[in-house]
Formats: sequence, structure tokens, C-alpha cells
Amino acid sequence: MVLTLLSHQWKSFWRGRNAGTGLAVQIFLGLLIAYLLASLLAMGLGLGHILHKVYPGQDVVPIFCGFILYYFSFDFIMRFTIQELPVLTIQPYLGQNIRRQQLVAFLNIRALFHFLNLVPFFLFLPFACTDIARGYGTVATAAFITAILFLTLFSNYLILYIKRKTIINAWWLVGFIMAIVVFMMLDFFHILSLRKWSANAFITLLTRPSLVLIPIILGLASYLNNYRFLLGNLYLDEGVKNEKEKTSREYTWLQQLGLSGELIALDIKLMLRNQRPKYILRMSIFFMAYGFIFYRKENLADPHMYIFLFAAIFMTGIFIMNYGQFLFAWHSRYFDGLMSSNISIPAFIRSKFMLYNAVSTAAFVITSLYGLISWKLLIVQLSAWLYNIGINSVLSIYLATLNYKPVDLTRSATFNFQGIGVIQWLYAFILILVPYLIYWPLAKFVGPWTGYAVVGGVGLVSLLMQGYWVEVLTRQFHRRKYLILEGFREK
Amino acid sequence: MLSIIDTAKSYNGNTVVNVPQLEITTGEIIGLVGNNGAGKTTLFRLLLDLIRADKGEIRSKEKNVARSEDWKKYTAAYLDEGFLIHYLTPEEYFYFIGKLHQLSKVDVDEFLQKFEAFFDGSILGSGKYIRDLSKGNQFKVGIAACLLQKPELLILDEPFANLDPSSQMRLVRMLKELPGQQRMTVLISSHDLNHVTDVCHRILLMEKGRIIKDIDTTADTLQELEMYFEV
Repeated sequence: MVLTLLSHQWKSFWRGRNAGTGLAVQIFLGLLIAYLLASLLAMGLGLGHILHKVYPGQDVVPIFCGFILYYFSFDFIMRFTIQELPVLTIQPYLGQNIRRQQLVAFLNIRALFHFLNLVPFFLFLPFACTDIARGYGTVATAAFITAILFLTLFSNYLILYIKRKTIINAWWLVGFIMAIVVFMMLDFFHILSLRKWSANAFITLLTRPSLVLIPIILGLASYLNNYRFLLGNLYLDEGVKNEKEKTSREYTWLQQLGLSGELIALDIKLMLRNQRPKYILRMSIFFMAYGFIFYRKENLADPHMYIFLFAAIFMTGIFIMNYGQFLFAWHSRYFDGLMSSNISIPAFIRSKFMLYNAVSTAAFVITSLYGLISWKLLIVQLSAWLYNIGINSVLSIYLATLNYKPVDLTRSATFNFQGIGVIQWLYAFILILVPYLIYWPLAKFVGPWTGYAVVGGVGLVSLLMQGYWVEVLTRQFHRRKYLILEGFREK
Repeated sequence: MLSIIDTAKSYNGNTVVNVPQLEITTGEIIGLVGNNGAGKTTLFRLLLDLIRADKGEIRSKEKNVARSEDWKKYTAAYLDEGFLIHYLTPEEYFYFIGKLHQLSKVDVDEFLQKFEAFFDGSILGSGKYIRDLSKGNQFKVGIAACLLQKPELLILDEPFANLDPSSQMRLVRMLKELPGQQRMTVLISSHDLNHVTDVCHRILLMEKGRIIKDIDTTADTLQELEMYFEV
């Protein structure tokens, strides 16, 4: 029975919307995963070598063992943020003639199929099979590997248990975060040493392999605890968060802008109330710190200042780049409704321009603080900002009319490739590459300031033409409207 | 009000809608019946310019809906949840729709008072986003948002299907009373033959994209339809 259910999961994975994103995306994802695993394996294989180099002449096994608990703490936090509860997958089976124990067993086995459960083996196995096996013998190595296996199981099921608890009662979440923070502080201020504990524990294990019983018991206990909990709580409504009251909100300052203001308010609510765009918004704020990487003294010395254009375009246009790649698709679920209600297309497009202008200007104002590093940066940013609201906004809306893939707003954002197609891959390229086509020859043959003046000037001219662009884009939109609607309707 | 001229739509060679000629005059209440796949929803989508017809044209007040956007001002439609903005609270959604028709918050609040019984206390002030409402309640939001627009043309796809019996009765009463007060033309599709013959003046029976019967409702209509659907 459990096997049948697992085979359904296998099918749902391959036939799911994520899988349907087209061959290019699948190949890319496959390569990405292969790359991640390969780099992990390389790290695992190289670990002994690296440790020998860093600590020459010392016994590296205790040093290695000192890191293991750090890894598991990191693993714990990672799991807490990205591991999802496979609860809803059993919804269609609850009413069928399948015993609860089997469903719970299925849920528990299903939970093992996770990227994070593979990592420790890539990371620790090579070292265990070489250095540890050489120093402590086969039995100790077997005990070590078994311990890692069961600690992974322990971590896997404990985090699922805690996550399920936090869904039922939010105080568990507070407690969990507090515990992690306290632990990190204690370690940071050397009040207790995770490293010493870790080294002691695993060296003891290696000398007395029979102690492997402890991680085995921990792992099994964690599994049984989760099993028992699930068996008693296999009800759908309890899996749903008891959410707090939602309140209505009006942005009166936007209402003065009429219909466009109303549509901007809609975009703002969309961003604040849905997981995926909220994540993008947070990333956009985070990316404004890119200046610290690119605006360096070394780079200021470069007479062409090539790299600055990238950083400035990226930071002042981060919103256009991130939010804009799904500009219309964010609204895909109710696009039918939008298109048949009393919204004129020009007003719809104008609202997107206004949104871009406002957010990019805010980003420009905030990142102007980099001007404290050098006044040159201020000019670079000014030119990039003008280019973003002048040209990139137009390009973004134009490319949005070519995107027919719907976006599912309700799903979480991490590793979510749903709704991504060729357009999204091209998108960032076009937005970054085109200004370089203008800037590069000018900077090379005339001078960087001419380059920035022309990039900014082109942006300014185009910005003044925004009324005309609205007309052009409206025509373009009408031409594609049915294709967009048809694509968005496919859920 | 509406004229459909030689309109056809097909997907992969299957004709979904094929209407050579149809006239709908102002104030008519029209019921569209037919089994699944008869083309009712597709016809509605054509009327709302959500899909492109392979040929022919649809005129609303003498203007081609695919060319002019004027119909949006006086047309309200609710076909499915794809018409609701799911992350808004019902109030926010009503205010948004109201704004599109130059109605102030006060106007909207006043209008919604009439719906107190229909909403049954589970929509306004519920502290939920639309996406967290039950399907029936989402439907009520959609219908109320349509009526809020005081439309001259109202299009509802299977309005009775998701409603509880009391709400069905209330909707029947509204649909009977409102058009007379506001000179509203109504198009509804339904599988519920009782309600449809009760509410509508004229019934269009669709089969494989064609309108095979166009009858003015009389006392015998229900029986006639039941005869057709009998297997």
C-alpha cells in the first residue's frame, strides 16, 4: 500500500505544474541540482585534504569531529526554513479504505525524500571512509556512519514534529527561535563550546563503537514520536494554521490618483499578502546592499567604470527586475475578472509605469547614500535611475505582454520555479545588457562620463515619452490579450 | 442590446460554439441550459471578449466587443472564482469594484446593507480574505459585486450551483425583481431547470455549441426541457 502511495507521489512530481515548465527549465534545474551535489561531493572528498593543509601535523579527526554538531545545527535551521510538511498529499486518501497506520507510515517515508537528507552522506562519507577508517578501524567507521545516519533521521523527524507543533500553537515557534538564538549566543561568547562537545562526543564514539546505540535510540525515538503524534492528529482542519483576523486597508493617499492609484493599491496588497511576491520584495531590499560589494576603492580606480553601471542599474531597478518578470502573471488567477471589469487598458498600463517610477525613485533615494563613498557614484546612480524608469520600465511591460504563464501566488517562494519560462530567462539579460550596448563603446572610445550622460539622457527622453509608450503598449497588449488570458486560465 | 452574428469558436477542430444569429433585446432575462460541454461558458467568455472568436462578431449596443471597451461600463459578469481578487477582504473587493464605477465607500456600504440577509453574517467583517471563504460564500461575493455595478447587462454562470437552498431562493427573488426596477438584461446559465424556468423569460437550449431551441417560457417549458434531458 505504502508503495502505491509513493508511486502516486512519483507521478505527481513528474506530472506536476513544476515539471511542466518546459524542457529548458528542467534541464537547468537538473544541472543546478547536479552541480550542488557535485560541489558537496567535491567538498566531502577534499575535506581531509583541506584539514591536513590547515592543521599540518595534527590529527585531523578530532578537528573534523568538532564540526559535526555545527553542521547539524545549521541543518536544523535549514530544515526549519525550507522543509515542507507533506500533509496535504494524503487528503485524497483519507476517505479511502486505507488504515491510518499506513497513511502515517507513508507520510513518514515520504518525508525522507528530501535534498537535505542526502547532504550529510556526500559531506561526511568520503572522510569517514578514508581518514577515520585509517585511524580507527572498520568497526568504528561503521559506527560513525550509522551515527550520522540516525542523527539525520533524528533531525528530520524532530523538525517535522516541531513544525507541526508550531502550526497548532505559535508559541512553539517563538520557543524554537529563542532556543536557537540562546544557543548561538552561548557558543559565540564561548560560554559553552559546541565544538568541544562535538569533538568529545564523536571521538568517544570512535573509541567505544558500542555507544552508537545512543544516536540509534535518538533517531528511533524521534521517528516514533512523530508517528504517534501524526496518528492522533490526522485531521485536515488541524493542519491549517489558525490565522489571525484579516483587516481591510485603504490607501487614501493613492486614491487621489484615480483608477491608476486604485490599481497600484492592488499591486501593493498583492505584494504584502502573498508569500511569493513578499519574498521578492524582501530580496529587493536585501539586494540594495550590493553596493558594498561593487562600489569599492579598487573599482573606483578603473577609468572605464564598467562594473558600476551594472551595480547601479541593478540596485535602482531591482524592483523592475524582480517584480516585473511576472508583471501581469501575478494577477493571473483573476485576470479574467480584471479584463471584463471596467478597467481601461491604458489606465492599467499607466498604473504599472507609475508603480515602477515610484519604487525605482525610492530605491534611488535610499541607495544615494553610496554617494558618501564618492560623488562619482551619485552621478552613476542618477544615470542608471533615469535609464530604469525611462527604458527598462517600457521593456519590462513589453516583455510582460509576451508572458502567458500563470503564477501561483499561494505557494512558497524558495526553489519555486513555477511560472518561469523563456521570457524570464531573457528578462534580466535584456534589462542589463542593453544599457551596456550603449555604454561600453562610449566609455571605451570617448569617456565614461559621456557614456553615463548618454545612458541617462536616453532614459530621460524616453521617460518624457511615457504617454506615447502607453499607447504603443496598449496596442501591443490588445494584440496579445487573448493569448495571455488563455495561458493564465490554464491552472 | 446584444447581437451575435455568425460567431464560431473551435478548439483543435472541435466546434465549441457555433451561433449563426442571435438577438437579445433590452430587459430580457435569458436562461442558457445544456449539458456539460455544450458551450455555455465559452459563449459567455466570447461575450466578455475573453477569447477570440474564429469568425463573426458580437455586438453590445451596436458596438463590437472586441473593438471597443465601452461594454465594460455597463456589463457585470461572474463566471467563476477567476473573477475575484483572492487576497482582498470582501469589503476591499467591493470598494475596489465600486471605485471602478465611481461609487464612493459610503455608496458601497449603503448598497451592501441590502445584502445582509443574503450574506448571512459570514462575509462582511468576517476577518478573512476572499481566498479563505467557502466556495458558496465566494459566489455570493461575486454576485453582490456584479449587482453593485448596477449593470445594464448581467452575466452569471451557474449562479445556483454553489449556493445553499435559502440563498438560491433569495437569488431567484432578486433576479425576478431587479431587472424590472433597473431595466437590466440578464443572461444566466444553469443546470437547475426549475429555477431557470422560474426566473427566465426566454430559454436557449445548447447542444454541442449550437442553440437548438429558443423558447419563450410558458407553463409547459419545464416539461419540454425535462423531456429533452431525459435519457
